[in-house]
Amino acid sequence: MSLLNTYINHIIQVFPDLLLGSMVTIEVTSLGVFFGLIIGTISGLGKLSQKKFYRYPSIVYVDFIRGTPLLVQILLFYYGIPGLFSNVTGKPLSFDPIFAGVIVCSINSGAYIAEIVRAGVQSIDKGQMEAARSLGMTERMAMKEIILPQAFRRIIPPLGNEFIALLKDSSLLAVIGVHELLKNGQLYISRTFASFPVYIAVAMMYLIMTIAISRLVAYSERRLGVSDRN
Amino acid sequence: MIEIKDLYKSFGDLQVLKGISVKVKESEVVCVIGPSGSGKSTFLRCINLLEKPTSGDIWIDGEKITDTHVNINKIREEAGMVFQHFNLFPHKTVLENVSLAPIKVRKLSKEEGEKKALELLRKVGLEDKAHVYPAALSGGQKQRVAIARALAMHPKVMLFDEPTSALDPEMVGEVLNVMNNLAKMGMTMIVVTHEMGFAREVSHRVLFMDDGMIVEEGKPHDIFVHPKNDRTIAFLSKVL
Repeated sequence: MSLLNTYINHIIQVFPDLLLGSMVTIEVTSLGVFFGLIIGTISGLGKLSQKKFYRYPSIVYVDFIRGTPLLVQILLFYYGIPGLFSNVTGKPLSFDPIFAGVIVCSINSGAYIAEIVRAGVQSIDKGQMEAARSLGMTERMAMKEIILPQAFRRIIPPLGNEFIALLKDSSLLAVIGVHELLKNGQLYISRTFASFPVYIAVAMMYLIMTIAISRLVAYSERRLGVSDRN
Repeated sequence: MIEIKDLYKSFGDLQVLKGISVKVKESEVVCVIGPSGSGKSTFLRCINLLEKPTSGDIWIDGEKITDTHVNINKIREEAGMVFQHFNLFPHKTVLENVSLAPIKVRKLSKEEGEKKALELLRKVGLEDKAHVYPAALSGGQKQRVAIARALAMHPKVMLFDEPTSALDPEMVGEVLNVMNNLAKMGMTMIVVTHEMGFAREVSHRVLFMDDGMIVEEGKPHDIFVHPKNDRTIAFLSKVL
């Protein structure tokens, strides 16, 4: 009984820290997916482009990011790039951990979102593009007015999944000292050695966030799906 | 008005069009009939360059559209296209479907574009559906909206690619009606169709295509009552 009380006590003690950490987790993840969506749309369309000038860089980017671990990308950006900078220029360079975290998360999710956007655009009936072009619209205009609005409705579920995946993966940012959910838990453990209750609490916090997001995605999917039948 | 000379089109090794030459006069209604796979749709799609001809030349209103330097988008503004599967934009209302291209491509103001769109919707009898989404329309209504949408760009020629083939039988009439009115108003039309009644009653000339070539052409009466070519006779005996 006393063990349970101690555990509960630890959880109550650590809870404010975890709450603050969750805020950072959500902030980094949201910014990551937001910029990732921009990067992903550009490179997703790039992969579909007829022009090698757009297609090849997009393919290399997506392959590199999806083919290497996020942890390695984080370390490469946070330690590797400043190291290269000071080797070349002789001056020191260091990144703010949260800034680095947002950048890496954006670049990382951008590659996954590129594939989502590409699949979404390809899933739109090609008659839509033909109808738009036959009305004299340019390809760019047709993409913006006709194809992308329909594609974005369709990719909300996989985008939600990407958001959830990135939210969980953002825990890796603990290694570069971003004070997100996991890091804040670990800091508390390093003071108190209460690993079991704190890790359970951390896991629960992630679970609550991911469930909330998947419900939100399901809701927006229902609302936007109304007019999406031909 | 339209002149097509020695039009060839291949997809890979498959030769779909094997030298098509035809002239269409202003206000003429030409129906293209023939078995499926004969290249009718490909022929039509070449006229607004949805398919790029492998060789041959096409002139619309004196302009050679197969020249490499012409602006394809400008050409397409002049040739309205109606598809078998309507291809309405499902995320836009009926009014937006019709007014979008005039506003975006012809740079009309929103008010002007919508006013014109409403006028056209009145012509096809769907003014009351202006603010619904395509999903709420029947097939016949969708196709009438698609016709209004193509007309909104004031095309010089209207191309119809089997406009009634995807419709339930009871809805074919309303679409043919709209097309009939259009023909009476003097619109130049090229219609790929399986509606032999329409071809016979409304068109000025019928082209019978088989195996990528125009096998026989003539006035509807001649084609339907006195076909000369064996393949035309065989085809008509199956569909009439």
